[in-house]
Amino acid sequence: MEGGTGLLIALGVFVLFAILGYNRLIRLRNMADKAFASIDAMAKKRYDLIPNLVATVQQYMQHERATLTEITEMRAKAVSGNLSDNEKVDLDNKISRAMGGIMVAVENYPDLKANQNFIQLQGSLNEVEEQLSAARRAYNAAVTDYNNACQMFPSNVFAMVFNFRTKRLFEISEQERQNVDVKSLFRSS
Amino acid sequence: MKTLQEFEAFFQKEMMADLKILDQRRRDQVKRYTWIVLLTLLGLLLCVVLYLNFGRHSHSSAAGYIYLITGLAILITSAIVMSTWARDKTFYQDFKQKVIEPIVGFVSPDLQYEPRNFIGADSFQRSRIFMKTVDRYTGDDMVQGKIDKTQIWFSEVKAEYKSTTTDNKGHTKTTWHTIFKGLFFIADFNKHFQTSTVVLPNRLGKGVLGNFLNKMNWVRREKHVRLEDPEFNKHFVVYGEDQIEARYVLSTALMQRLTEFRKKHPNPIYVSFVNSFLYIAIAYQKDLFEPTWFKKLTRFSLVKEYFEDIQLAVSIVEELNLNNRIWTKQ
Repeated sequence: MEGGTGLLIALGVFVLFAILGYNRLIRLRNMADKAFASIDAMAKKRYDLIPNLVATVQQYMQHERATLTEITEMRAKAVSGNLSDNEKVDLDNKISRAMGGIMVAVENYPDLKANQNFIQLQGSLNEVEEQLSAARRAYNAAVTDYNNACQMFPSNVFAMVFNFRTKRLFEISEQERQNVDVKSLFRSS
Repeated sequence: MKTLQEFEAFFQKEMMADLKILDQRRRDQVKRYTWIVLLTLLGLLLCVVLYLNFGRHSHSSAAGYIYLITGLAILITSAIVMSTWARDKTFYQDFKQKVIEPIVGFVSPDLQYEPRNFIGADSFQRSRIFMKTVDRYTGDDMVQGKIDKTQIWFSEVKAEYKSTTTDNKGHTKTTWHTIFKGLFFIADFNKHFQTSTVVLPNRLGKGVLGNFLNKMNWVRREKHVRLEDPEFNKHFVVYGEDQIEARYVLSTALMQRLTEFRKKHPNPIYVSFVNSFLYIAIAYQKDLFEPTWFKKLTRFSLVKEYFEDIQLAVSIVEELNLNNRIWTKQ
């Protein structure tokens, strides 16, 4: 009889741990997902700026027509939805690179550089880039917490049982480590 | 930013004449006080000697009291003389005007100095750095102005709270405790943001236990934000209402700058970002921008300290790159 009680208590404790462990994993995963959603939100904010940017610069930029069209197409694809997370990240990186290219090319157009509209747009763009970088860092922090829980004992046991998989971190580029300053691209070129 | 060499030249050329006069006044007052103290002690000694020789042997107790009353009269008189005739009433005010004001102007001509004004208690509380309710609040030496694109304000402040205890006889005793004493600095931050982020000195370390204890906080609505810079985490612990905005405000570059700033200054540094303003509180043991009675005012090492304390506050703008306005906030 006494052995039975002991077993019951042990089982109760195990179930309790399992519930707590499971809930913790769920909470951490939700936090990571929420952080990913905010990256998405920031990326959308950036997409919203693209038509504006294209409209402002295309009157000045004669030689970058192709790049501008490409950006517009990429943006259309990005906002159309039905992309997997990995595709989204890839597309995002491509857009970042193309926009960086345009900002460097602006150097050749002094009139554009002095355009009040463009200067304002540049500020907004810097802001969104910095917010995007903050969202990525927040995501990485959330994912690190989640991954730690998935891999560290004892929560890794429940992670294995309930099939929680670790998530991939964003790679923060060296450029992002600094203040994202579009203007600084000009100085170095 | 002015260098120490430049300041020394300014000190010799522009301030020396005034300092010499002020220092003479300081010495005169110290001399007067020394005489008064000596005379008072002499008078008291005389009372004691007379009492021991004559008062004690007198038959009436009234004779003994005469010496006591005389002694008291001497003490009261010297206290009155010290606070009226012997005191240089305008010394303090002139010190602020002839010493601190020129230094503020030298550091930057765009700054205004008001010796009696200080950062208000509401701003102090709005910073959300110190969560304790303030019961007594004072300050002085307010400096404000615009450094390039950034508006700044700073002053010395002292915030205290009181606790009352009642012993078993029913006597209540009030004790005052310092919440913060030192330099309080406010700047218009270069980014827009809505939520509050607070950066406090990390007293618990960044080990497993320290990290665990830092996470526990019941006093503020901000949650622990774990940032990715290990060097920064060694010195600071961050609480924010919004995980993303905390990182937006504390960019990796700003974290590095704050770490550098912290390494340069041994005093505890508290930082917060509230409503697009930056608040920095630097704790000091000493009273800032005050004259000393027993040090020569014409000595560079003394005046240098005033310069360095003001320069420290103004340098925040440059050290944290607040004039870098590449975002939408101008």
